[in-house]
Amino acid sequence: MSHAFQFYATTLLVYLGVDVLSVWSLNLQYGMTGIYNFAWILFQSIGAYTAAVLTLGPSTANTGFQHFILGTSIPFPLPLLIAGAVAGVFSIPIGFVALRRLRADYEATVMLVISVVATLIVSNVQGMFNGTAGLSLIPEPLYTFLHVSTLSYSWLYVLFTAVVCGIVYIFVHRVTSSPLGRAMRAVRDNEAAAESLGKHVTSVRMFAFIFGNVIAGMSGALLVQFIGAWSPGAWFFVETLIILTAIIVGGTGNNGGVILGALLVPIVFNEATRYIPTSFAPAAIVDSVQWCVIGGLALAFLWFRPQGILPERRRRFPVPPEYAAMAAAGRYPPHDERGATGTPPVAVLASETES
Amino acid sequence: MTVSTLHDAPAATTGAVVPLLSVRNLRREFGGVVAVDDASFDVLPGTITSLIGPNGAGKSTAVGIIGGGIRPTKGTVQFAGEDLTGLPPYARAERGLIRTFQLSSQFSKLTVLENLLAAAPHQRGEQFRVLVFGKRLWREEQDRLLERAYELLVRFSMFEMRDEYAGNLSGGQKRLVEIMRALMANPKMVLLDEPMAGVNPTLARAIEGYLLDLAAEGVTLLLVEHELDVVERLSDNVVVMAQGRTIATGSMAELRENEEVVRAYLEG
Repeated sequence: MSHAFQFYATTLLVYLGVDVLSVWSLNLQYGMTGIYNFAWILFQSIGAYTAAVLTLGPSTANTGFQHFILGTSIPFPLPLLIAGAVAGVFSIPIGFVALRRLRADYEATVMLVISVVATLIVSNVQGMFNGTAGLSLIPEPLYTFLHVSTLSYSWLYVLFTAVVCGIVYIFVHRVTSSPLGRAMRAVRDNEAAAESLGKHVTSVRMFAFIFGNVIAGMSGALLVQFIGAWSPGAWFFVETLIILTAIIVGGTGNNGGVILGALLVPIVFNEATRYIPTSFAPAAIVDSVQWCVIGGLALAFLWFRPQGILPERRRRFPVPPEYAAMAAAGRYPPHDERGATGTPPVAVLASETES
Repeated sequence: MTVSTLHDAPAATTGAVVPLLSVRNLRREFGGVVAVDDASFDVLPGTITSLIGPNGAGKSTAVGIIGGGIRPTKGTVQFAGEDLTGLPPYARAERGLIRTFQLSSQFSKLTVLENLLAAAPHQRGEQFRVLVFGKRLWREEQDRLLERAYELLVRFSMFEMRDEYAGNLSGGQKRLVEIMRALMANPKMVLLDEPMAGVNPTLARAIEGYLLDLAAEGVTLLLVEHELDVVERLSDNVVVMAQGRTIATGSMAELRENEEVVRAYLEG
């Protein structure tokens, strides 16, 4: 493998890892809990900026060509963890405004507005994150400490990304496979019924929102420390739609399915459009074509296969043989010693036609 | 409190039995429309009480207020000696007061079995601690819930349907899921808003049987129902509402003799 190809491959793999974290994050919110977080990219961005200003050192460094707040050099891996925490903290007031009383379309609108407003603020407040020019020269973690070639470092970063994905998956799986995950899906399917059955709907939604955004923040930190730069152009609100499309294509509500979506949508389709010959389409058009492809994919799947390539998994549970036997015999469970007033014919349901 | 209705305090007259649910002077306006005007009634423990009345009488609004989904403009809801008036629905569910809905409200993309498991309140596995403890937190609890869910599935002849998505069930089967789900919570009282609406007659009779069984086990039921012969077969007590007010209470036989009821409902 040539060096150039290896650099390309490692970059794609790190992007894939970041996208996998992204789809898990938004899937927890949109896929599992039904939260329309159209401000998702904001939380990835909060993580990216946090990690940047925690590692860049004072803003007077490098002849002070960029202006930003904080400016410290915190050792690895703290910036990654703090980035997640900060994204989580920002989720609380935003969630309070958007999730507590608003639902579905109103919620989506508020999120979208928050995302746009945040981009405008960061672009125009020069001293916060260096305005529209954004931050650059963000150091790669442990690069000077490791004494390895740039290429080896890239492979090590791929490994590190994989480890982060693995650890995050453990926590994601703990939630989605648990009764809490079931409560999240119940809230998604019917909020009023979930609440009437004793679920604290707002808490469940806030949990999914905060937990998902912590992961989004970490994904941003992971990405920014690899590519070394971050500016408002990187997180315009439509970027959320790429991740949302990846989830819809891969399989809403399926942690494995969305990985496939992360591979197909941001990686394969976005990369494929790169290879459109420039004689056929000028470079400026290629960028637009990417958006057409993303939008077209989302529409096509929502029309023809809304459940995605790998649909949400049907959860089955072990059946004790005694119940199977009782069901076959049409008997009540043994400890049930009431009269037979209400014993229904087993055939009732079998004979019932679809209504 | 204005004692405007003949049934205002039946517990006081019978003396011994304390009502499980006590609704007093409920009022609810939607814009200029008064859905519930002045509704007061009691439900005694272990009984089946039916709420009847013509369309627009305020029955569903009353059930909504008791369940906590709708806030009353005025009035109080007492349950098991506690004033629930300001409490949200989940807090009422935790106290053993569960409601079902007029329109099927299943969790469509959960299986029937999952619908039941999700319905039990107070689950350890639903606490945010699962992030730290994982399966250790909820494995045993889940086994217990599974056992109860399987019992209900066998009892309601829905065992074979356990792995089907609830959204794919027939209308009648969805009603059964709704009733089973209410029972997963080990409720003291279940509010059933037209549990037999849109269900074929055979299954409707089966549901009647299930409801009688539940009452025999000590679960108190408050039923909103249109079919008067069903009401007659099931109810220990019937509350009649018309134009937002409770106008009478008693057995069906008594109510048939009541002129006001006959005018407002039985003939109208």
